[in-house]
Amino acid sequence: MILDLHNHSIKSDDGRARVESYCQWIRKKEIPIDGFVLTEHRQYDDESDYRALEDEFGLRILKGSEVETEYGHVLVFGVNDDLRAAFDFTRIDLPLATVLEESGRCGAQAVPCHPGRPNVGLCAHYETRGVPEGVEIIEVASGGSRAGEDEAAAALAERHDYAGVGGSDAHIVSHIGRCATRFPREIRDEEDLVAALREGGFEAVRWT
Amino acid sequence: MDVEELKTRFVGEEFDSTEFEVKPADALAFARCCGETDPRYSDPRHPEYQAPPTFMTRFHGRRTMPEEFPEEYFQGSFDGGKTVIAHAPIPVGATLVGTSQIADVYRKTGRSGSMTFLVHRMEYRNQEGEPISTVDWKLIRKDEA
Repeated sequence: MILDLHNHSIKSDDGRARVESYCQWIRKKEIPIDGFVLTEHRQYDDESDYRALEDEFGLRILKGSEVETEYGHVLVFGVNDDLRAAFDFTRIDLPLATVLEESGRCGAQAVPCHPGRPNVGLCAHYETRGVPEGVEIIEVASGGSRAGEDEAAAALAERHDYAGVGGSDAHIVSHIGRCATRFPREIRDEEDLVAALREGGFEAVRWT
Repeated sequence: MDVEELKTRFVGEEFDSTEFEVKPADALAFARCCGETDPRYSDPRHPEYQAPPTFMTRFHGRRTMPEEFPEEYFQGSFDGGKTVIAHAPIPVGATLVGTSQIADVYRKTGRSGSMTFLVHRMEYRNQEGEPISTVDWKLIRKDEA
């Protein structure tokens, strides 16, 4: 199963795509993904119900979040009430250690994203802040990367033996499906996604 | 004053109310400048003639910010663009009432570092109090490193 793990809808302050438009685009362009995850900035969207769109378009639509830490941005999958109570998603100075620890404790999975990006990626902070404990998976293929950024992420993953996922970081409709993650199993919901990430065996895929 | 204090003190509180006339010549000139070809916006003889939905972005209240709002949060900021929500056609020749408020203040980080976003909102209503348009204007300040 192939899921694009990193996308933003109009629920994010800088998102310009409606979820229905993402679905239409995927089908119109025959993008070979089975679904996508909405990782809205600094929040978890517990209001939206995309089940009707899932049925209409035959796509899996899951929800996560993208939070901000001193090491850069981090995707969180499997967000639940316990995790939302553990730290303030709106802050831009969350300790990465807290996000990693609390995600593990609450049955979620934290994945630092676009590590090669200046200021908001892991690579920029390793020299000054040191290597953080507890990172297991990073995003090695990002649709929002500029030249050299994904290469830096891949090198970081190899150096520290991190597993790698892919996500488009789409903010506009035509950017969805640029990067994704191929899993060796079916993923029905957010809990399944966390389980699949913990099991391993996945790989990042890129179409652009 | 930090962002949380700004939120508590200012977000959601109306600080200005001003009347604006949708002058026929201005509406037509605006439509032409935008390259508008839809006769609803470009032909005053059209039965549904109205100002283009983005027309209200040209107006501004008497005050830009609440009276005690700290200047450092908008002096030197740059324009992050405007978002328009059209609730009803903008009637040409009508006088609308625009109220101003700070809708949100938040921080985020990006490639260039951390930034503070200020969302200035103007809500326009007709003389009957019916909503016509909401215009959100983002002002972005780059935080000190």
